[in-house]
Order: sequence, then structure tokens, then C-alpha cells
Amino acid sequence: MSLAEVEGVRIEHEHLPSGLWRETGRRLLRNPGAIVGFVFVLLFVLIAIFAPLIAPYSPTEQNLSLLADGCCPGPSWAHPMGVDELGRDELSRVMYGARYSLVIGVVSVTVGLSIGLLLGAIAGGFGGFADSIVMRAMDIMLAIPGLLLAIGIVSLLGPGLVPVMIAVGVATVPIFSRLLRGAILGQRDTDYVLAAQSIGVRRRSILTGHILPNSISPVIVAGTLAMATAIIDVAGLGFLGLGPQDPSTPEWGTMLTNANSYLSTAPFLALFPGLAVVMVVLGFNLIGDGLREALDPKLRGRL
Amino acid sequence: MARFVVRRLLLLVPILLGVSVLLFVWVRALPGTPAQAILGERATPAAIERFNRQYGLTRPIHVQYWAYMKTTMRGDLGTSVASRRPVTTEIKERFPATVELAFAAMAFALLVGLPLGFFAAKRYGQAFDHSSLFLSLIGISIPVFFLAIILKYVFSVKLGWLPSIGRQDVLIDAEHPTGFYVLDGIVTRNWAAAWDAVQHLILPAIALGSIPLAIIARVTRASTLDVQSEDYVRTARAKGLAPRIVDRRHVLRNALLPVTTIIGLQVGILLGGAVLTETVFAIPGMGSWLKEAIFNHDYPVLQGGILFLAFVFVMVNLLVDIAYGFINPRIRVS
Amino acid sequence: MGKGLKIMLALVAIALVATTAAFATANRSHASDTLVLGSEGDPVLLDGALVSDGPSLRVISQMWEGLVGLKPGTTKVVPALATSWTTSKDGLQWTFNLRKGVTFHDGTTMDAKSVCYNFNRQYTLPANLQGENTNYYWFTVFGGYAKPATGNPGPDKSLYHGCKIVNPSTARIILNRPSSSFLAALALSNFGIASPDALVKYKADAATIGSDGVIRPLGTFATEHPIGTGPFKLESWRIGDKLVLARYDKYWGTKAKLKRVIIRPITDSTARLQALQSGELDGMNLLSPQDVPTVAGNSSLKVLSRPAFNIGYVGINQKIGPLSNLKVRQAVAYGLDRKAVIGAFYGGRGQVANQFLPPLVEGYAAKGVPEYPYDPEKAKTLLKEAGQTLPVTLEFWYPTDRPRGYMPDPPRNFQAFAASLEKSGFKIVPHPAPWRGGYVAGVQSGKAALYLFGWTGDFGDPANFLNVHFGAENTQFGFNNAALFKLLQQADAESNLDKRTLLYQQASIDVMKLLPMVPYANNRPALAFKKNVKGYIPSPVEIEPLNLVSVE
Repeated sequence: MSLAEVEGVRIEHEHLPSGLWRETGRRLLRNPGAIVGFVFVLLFVLIAIFAPLIAPYSPTEQNLSLLADGCCPGPSWAHPMGVDELGRDELSRVMYGARYSLVIGVVSVTVGLSIGLLLGAIAGGFGGFADSIVMRAMDIMLAIPGLLLAIGIVSLLGPGLVPVMIAVGVATVPIFSRLLRGAILGQRDTDYVLAAQSIGVRRRSILTGHILPNSISPVIVAGTLAMATAIIDVAGLGFLGLGPQDPSTPEWGTMLTNANSYLSTAPFLALFPGLAVVMVVLGFNLIGDGLREALDPKLRGRL
Repeated sequence: MARFVVRRLLLLVPILLGVSVLLFVWVRALPGTPAQAILGERATPAAIERFNRQYGLTRPIHVQYWAYMKTTMRGDLGTSVASRRPVTTEIKERFPATVELAFAAMAFALLVGLPLGFFAAKRYGQAFDHSSLFLSLIGISIPVFFLAIILKYVFSVKLGWLPSIGRQDVLIDAEHPTGFYVLDGIVTRNWAAAWDAVQHLILPAIALGSIPLAIIARVTRASTLDVQSEDYVRTARAKGLAPRIVDRRHVLRNALLPVTTIIGLQVGILLGGAVLTETVFAIPGMGSWLKEAIFNHDYPVLQGGILFLAFVFVMVNLLVDIAYGFINPRIRVS
Repeated sequence: MGKGLKIMLALVAIALVATTAAFATANRSHASDTLVLGSEGDPVLLDGALVSDGPSLRVISQMWEGLVGLKPGTTKVVPALATSWTTSKDGLQWTFNLRKGVTFHDGTTMDAKSVCYNFNRQYTLPANLQGENTNYYWFTVFGGYAKPATGNPGPDKSLYHGCKIVNPSTARIILNRPSSSFLAALALSNFGIASPDALVKYKADAATIGSDGVIRPLGTFATEHPIGTGPFKLESWRIGDKLVLARYDKYWGTKAKLKRVIIRPITDSTARLQALQSGELDGMNLLSPQDVPTVAGNSSLKVLSRPAFNIGYVGINQKIGPLSNLKVRQAVAYGLDRKAVIGAFYGGRGQVANQFLPPLVEGYAAKGVPEYPYDPEKAKTLLKEAGQTLPVTLEFWYPTDRPRGYMPDPPRNFQAFAASLEKSGFKIVPHPAPWRGGYVAGVQSGKAALYLFGWTGDFGDPANFLNVHFGAENTQFGFNNAALFKLLQQADAESNLDKRTLLYQQASIDVMKLLPMVPYANNRPALAFKKNVKGYIPSPVEIEPLNLVSVE
């Protein structure tokens, strides 16, 4: 909803014939930012997947005796990130929080991507009436600011983790649909498409066989950036109280909300989940950025 | 030019209609029917039936929608359930708060972002460039509410430099002819009030403006890089013009063009971020209003407030489009 | 850009930061005739008849007075609008001699006619405003209406019979049966005397009720013209922004030292404390236990404590699910780890409550009370004995946004209790709701199976605790136990104080045997003020008169 939406405007018209993947990969590896991002994201995914194995405690187990001296004991050897207001180990909660963020990111982006690409294909592929309807619908969706749209969807479905994922996903639909439509329109007049049409290849085959594969690169970039914004937006919705309704859920946004009440005595409770969000989102943004620079035909000359 | 404007204005109508239909359906799909929301818990099915008939809720939905459109056209957006005041009155008070915050955030983003991006481009590949890129990436990676909490904690609680909540010191008895507190202070020559309002805006503006700042910096940098390698710039330099004059006359002006498109897109980001910022800093604007309306099941506020925001949003985009079309004649033809 | 420009920019930045820092503390002190208080929420309405929450009553009590009042800092009944009173031998007729020369804020005179008007107003409320959901105190103290709506008690059940105007400065209230708590109850702001002119002119009784139980007034009495006789009158009220009280210069008693009091609702305890720390508030209500050390360590602030005159409990609605079975309720009691919660969350200021009455109240049973220490295995056994299949699923309501004197952090209490219940054979379904936007109304209309609730005493009488909650059938608790009701009525009617105390002790023990709720906390609520605020006397009933407060 932020960078992806904005940059989406720019990457609409960039596309590559396949075969330049190896060069892209090479350029990516030369980009220190992208490497750092990759490391962050890899760390995040690994922690998310292996949390049950590596987390020292259960994220929901309360140990109220630790709070006998008030809230809350700070970082120590037994609890490297400290203990939260219900005596739960913060490190374990941050680790399990990665699982929620990973699932949230993947699901929302998948939802937005599939619906968006479908709509974009219809708009670009069929043109005319279908195109105007889809684009007007997208305009209407974009007429409502992203977070508010998500809030609207969540209030309809009721608060909770799943409605938040759906809401965030749906809010990314206009980005992907515009993207694919732009890619299709951009390629419609290229030689190979015209050639295929003159031979009599069906529209659908042209779409799936030629246009879609060539549009993958901007979609990948947009998808990566959308992951980043999805994670941030879910944290934001959680902060507003629209996320998981069980306050003991170890989701980073919920944890940040709870930590707010203990800011004067235990600021670390807000610091660690916040840093986690920043690092993961930064990672995805770095990768997305690196990908875009690697794929940008304009920059090819400069390097 | 006129045809361009008219065409865009005409586009506005179906978009707004679409939004209003969407809102109408959405409000009615929210849990709890209007009858339940207004009638008593001891209402019998007969009473609900009577209520529905009295308020025209048994008419076919398109008839209801038409009636709703008529009242809305008249400017009546209903009464807030939580505050018992007309929605339009609340909007009149809360909208300027959000606009003022958005303006402050945008001003901050432009004042810092434009030079940052410009100079990063001029020092392409050097330390300044890398660090500004990194900073802007961090800018979009920090959740707005997290940054808001940190700013509040450091500058308000720990250092006591700036106030932590609201728009104005509760003791200042200032008049508000415009609803924009800073402007009001200036207009009424109440300098203390104006300065107080500015102080209350600083932290929220920084928090809210962090994302636009990052984006503006990046876009400025990218477009400056583009423009710098353009032929006419190289020509100007070859002519022997001093680099500073080249920058000002050619590079800057053209580099700023893409930025103006971006500004329009920022409005959506600002409105969304405003909800979070206003919550953390307890600013009585549209953002916190809508958030509370959802929790209070305040349907008139949701319907009226969001419709109003959508209208504003579309209008702003239209104005930006027109402005851009003005600046860049090529767009008008497309 | 030349070096000169860069240097200039840097200077501007430094200047900006410097002026901000300089102006920072300069603005924070203000005129000593105004007090800015931070409250934990907006009042619901400013009509004493239609509210029962602290924020509303704390404001109404500055503007309204009753026939009697409480001595500041205590629960001792003292004269207010009545200078003296006599009771008839049968205890049914209470004759009040009214103070002369008292005027309402709108200039009209306070006399016996206004007194009787106010009592009859509540007795004859329209159907939709009757009942404990909207008219809590009248319902619980007097329990009857002239024209009861379906399901509400009528004149036959009512304690109130009528009010007689003996002469302009003498009013007589006639009861249907004797009551020892009646006089103390009159100190409540809910029975304050409002201007009849204003009640009529601003349509105080016209309102609609939402399905969430929230009152939506159609007139402006409760929002703009809550006219009484008190030392302050309402200057303005903007919900979510501030409520301004102005000194009433024609007040008959100790005139306020402050010219204005501004009350700012800041629901978030952290934000409220931050506003106090940054100087934007002069004082705040409900300081969280975990923040007490921070304030105590701040040289310009001080902590004030109210006596522990409250009770926090986990409420049970016996009409829902298996909760009508005593064994299930006992299982809930054994399944709550109350000791751990008090030890960890109350900052040393709370103690575990073993009964509904706090130790400060007469009638508190020092021995003989059934105990329910945390015992998950016992809870599971009881559930099985009750024929339940484990886990027993129950919905547990808790408020998301309003700290209470007995419950500084509701979501935290909820999480701890939910965890201990889940270890004891229950499956807990959380049901959060905002306090004002549906929680209280939902609980009081019987929608919640288990819920976090509590009570801060209004006056120093066990009837205010026990009779109010367990003296008659109550939608909140959903049970009908004739024996308990009878005992409590008997206790309230008993005029011999020693016998009365014994009866109440028995009732308190009986309540703990029947377990309509599980008590867990008596807490000393904390307030924080700037050191230069004087004259604020913390009260056990959480309502402090502001006309005694001054800012140095």
C-alpha cells in the first residue's frame, strides 16, 4: 500500500524477455543491500519455521511469580529478551511472532496476487468493456485509502487474524491488477505477439504462453514489496485492536499494543517486537529494491 | 486543457457513486441491523417491524438507496451515535485536524526528502548516497505507530521538550475561526496559541511523514539521476553554463515532475497513517474518529465519514492530475 | 548548493531545536485558579438518575447535591441540602428539614417541591428508562416503579411509597418498609436534587435505548444542562476533548477555591501518565500499580491512595450453560489462581478477597467463610462430578479499555485467569468489548457467562455491597434464591446495629457458599498529582469534592 503502490506505477512498463535471469542474479549478488535483505529474510523464515524447536519456552506459558517485584524483569541470561507483563518469555514470543508474520505475509500476498492477476489479465486480455469495468472497480477501491479499506473489510468480517489477512490481501489487488494489465498492454504490440496472433494462436495461449512469463519480473518485485507492506499493515491493524482477539497471541502487532502500557517501566517490551518488524520488512524491501535495480533495463547501461 | 479537466471531472461521478453504493451495502452488512441499533433490547418483533416501516427499511433496497442519496445530497449525513452530534458537525471539527497534520507531515517530508534525494543523486555512489538510500528504506520499514511511540517516549516523556497529546494546551483559550489551529493563531494574532499548535504538530508530523519522506527522497533521487543524463542537460553543461545554474534551471525543474505525481498518491498513505498517528498522540482528527466509530458501532459516522474521505481523496487526485497535466502537456493527449 | 546555504540550514535547525526546548517547560505552568485533571474516561451522561459509572458520578457530584452527603475522605453521613431529619417510630416516614436560601445554577429556588419532584421523577420514569440497566441506583435501592414496564417491580415491591411536601422547607419521604441503609444511600449523587425547571425544559426523560443497552437522550439535559445546587456548574462538554466546570458563585457552602476545573478524558493509562509527566495535567485518576514507583520517584509529583473500599470479582451468570450447577461454579472458583494475580499485578497494593465485602465494611465475616484456593485438579473433579465433559467451554467477557479501581488492567487479569481456568478443565472463549460501547450494558443485561467486574462502595454500608447485588433477582447474575433475598432484606430492615452486623456476616458467608461470583481483589487505588495541588482528599467511594482543592 505504500511503496508497492507507488513503485507499481513505475514498473508497469518494464519487462524482460526471458534469458536474462542469470545476469539478473549476478547483479543481485553484487548488491550489498540485497544480500543483507536476503540474510534478514532467510533468518526470519528459518526462525518462523523452526520456532517450536528453537524457542526456549512456550510463548503462552505464564510465570506470574517472576512479576513479584512488579513489571517486568528485563533481559537476563534465562530470558534474553526479558519477560512480558504476564510472565511470558519475550524471546519465545518474538520467535513465534515470526510464524504469524510469515503466514500473514504469504496468505495476504497470495490472495491479492491471484485476484489481482486474474482481474488484470481479464482487463488487459479482453480489453474494451471488461477493461473499463475492472479498471473502474480498481479506481473505486483505490478511492478509499488502503488502511481504511482494510479496516472496512475487517469490520465487516469481524476482528481476528483471518479477516485481517483477507483485508490486507484484498487491499493489494489493485496493485497487481494494474500491473498485469499494464504489462499486457505494453506487450500487445510487440513483434512476437503480433506474429503469434497472425499465425492464429488463441488469445488465451498468447496470454499464458508469452505475455505472462514476460511479466513475471515486475510481479515478483511487486510481490516482495507487497509482503513488506502486508506485514506492516497487519501490525498496524493489530495495534488498532482489529487483529487476533486473544491478547495472549504472540503476534508482533498485538505485542506492541500491550507493550505500550508498560513503556515507562519496561520499554524493551516494545523495542524487541518493533525491531523484529523493522528488520523483516527492511529485508523484504531490500530484496525488492535489489530485484528492481537488477531488472531495470535503464540501469543496465550504467553498471 | 478544458476537455481534459472535464473528462476527469466526469470520471469522478461514477467513482463516487460506486463508493457510495459500496458504503451503503457495507454499512447494512455490518453486524447488527439499524433497527437493533436504535430500538430497545426489549423490542418485540412487532416493534422492529414498525420501526422498519417507519424508517422505510422495508422498501426495496434501490428505493432506500435513492432516499439515502437524496438526504446526502442535501448535506445531511446523519447523527453520530457516540457523541450524539450531527456527523457533518463532527467532520467540520475533525477534518481540519487531520488536514493540518497531513500538511505538516507533507511539509516535513518535502523539506527533508527533496534535498536528500537531490543531493544523493548528485553524489551518486558515494557514502551520502548509500546512507540516504538506507535511511529511506528504514523510513518505509518502520511501522508508523512504532515510530510515533518512540518519538513520544523520547521527546515528550523523557526529555519533556514537546507535548505528548492533543492539538492544543488545554488551558489556552484560543478562537478557532478556521479550524486549523496554527492558522487560527496567526489569524487571531495569538502567537502563543500558534506556537503551541506547532509544538503539538511536530512529533506527529515526523511520525506520519516518515513514509512520504522516504518515498519522496527515492523518487527525487531516481528522477534526478534520469534527468542528469538527458541530452539537454549535457548540452547545457557543454555550453559552459555554471553547474549550479544548470542544476537550478534544468535539472531541478524537470526532476521535480515525477514527484508531483507521487504527492497525490501520498494522500492515501497519509490518511491511513493518520489513523495510527492520531491514536498514539490522541489527536481528535478523522483517523481516530473513524477508529472509535468502528468500536462503538457508530454506523452513521462510518457511512458519512468514509464517504466524505473518499470524496476528498478523489478530488485531491483529480487536482493533482490536473496540475500535472498543466505542467506536462504530453499527458493531456494520452 | 554552496557551503553558505548548508551552514544557514544547520543554524536554522539548531535554532528550532533550541527554541522548542526552551519553550518546552515554560508553557507547562499555568494560572493557579484552574485545575486540569486527567480522567480514565468521559462521563456517559450528566444525569444522576441514568448513570452508575465513576467518571459520570465524579462530575455530577460537583454539580449536584443530595439531602445528605459524606464527610470528605470518609463514609460518614453529614447534612447537605437537609440540615436535620427525623424518623417516625415505625421507620417509614423520614422528615427532612431543608436548608433555606439555596438556589440552583439556573437561579430557581431549591425547596420541598423540587425535592419531591426529583424523587417522583425516578419513581415515574418512562418504561424504556426503567430497570437496572439504565436506572441502576433507584432500581437497587428502592426497587420499584409507579407504572412498571413488563418485568419490572411495581409499587408493591417498591421501598419508596411517596414524597410529601409538608411545607416549602420540609419534605417527607414515605417508605413501604423500614430500611437502615436508606439514609446513607441518599448521599449518592444519583439521588441528587436537580432543578425541576431544567428537567422539564431540557426533556430529561426523553431517550431511546440501543440494543447494546446504551442510552441515547433526545433532550439536552444530560449533556448540556445538568443543573443542580453544587459548587460547580457545567461550562462546556465536548466528548473526547474536555469537560469544563466553572465555579458557581452563589453556592451556599464552601465556595470553590478554583475558578475552573478542566477534565480531560485520556483512556490510555500510559498516555495519561505521560501527560502528567510532561506537565499537561495537574492530576490524574487511576495510576497503574506498575507506574506508582515512577511517580513516587519524581520530585515534582506525588502519589495519593484511596482506602481499599472495593471488590473485584469474576462474575457468573447462572442462566448460561452449565453455570446453574453449583459444582460447576465451585470448579470456576477453584480454577482461578487469584493469589498469583494479586501478587503479580497489583504492585503490593492489593490483597486477595475471600468474600464480597471488603474488610473495611461492617458485616465483614472474619471467620467461617468458605475458601477456594487454586486447585486445578479439584476443579476438574468437580466438573466431572457435575456430569460435564471436559473441557467445559465458557465465554469470558472482559473490557478492553477501562481500568477500574479494583482492576487496573482488565486484559491482563483476563489472560491470567483464562490461563488458570484452562488448566482446570475449562476452555475459555474470550469476548472483549469496549467499556462504554457495550461491555457494561452487555454484562448488566445478562449476555456474559463469565465476566470481569467489580464494585466500589458508594456509602459505608454492607447493603450497598450485598443488597445491591444479591438482594433481588439480577440479570447480571441470573439466579433466584429466595432465602438469600429474604436474609438480606431482613438485615437491611434490622435497626439493632449488632444484630444487623451478625445478619450481614451470615449473608456474606452464604453468598460465598452459593458462589454467584468469585471475588478476588480488594485494592487501594492510586492517584497522581503535581506536588503543588493541595486539598485533594482521597475518598473510599472514589468521589472527591473539588471545591476544597487549590493549586499553589
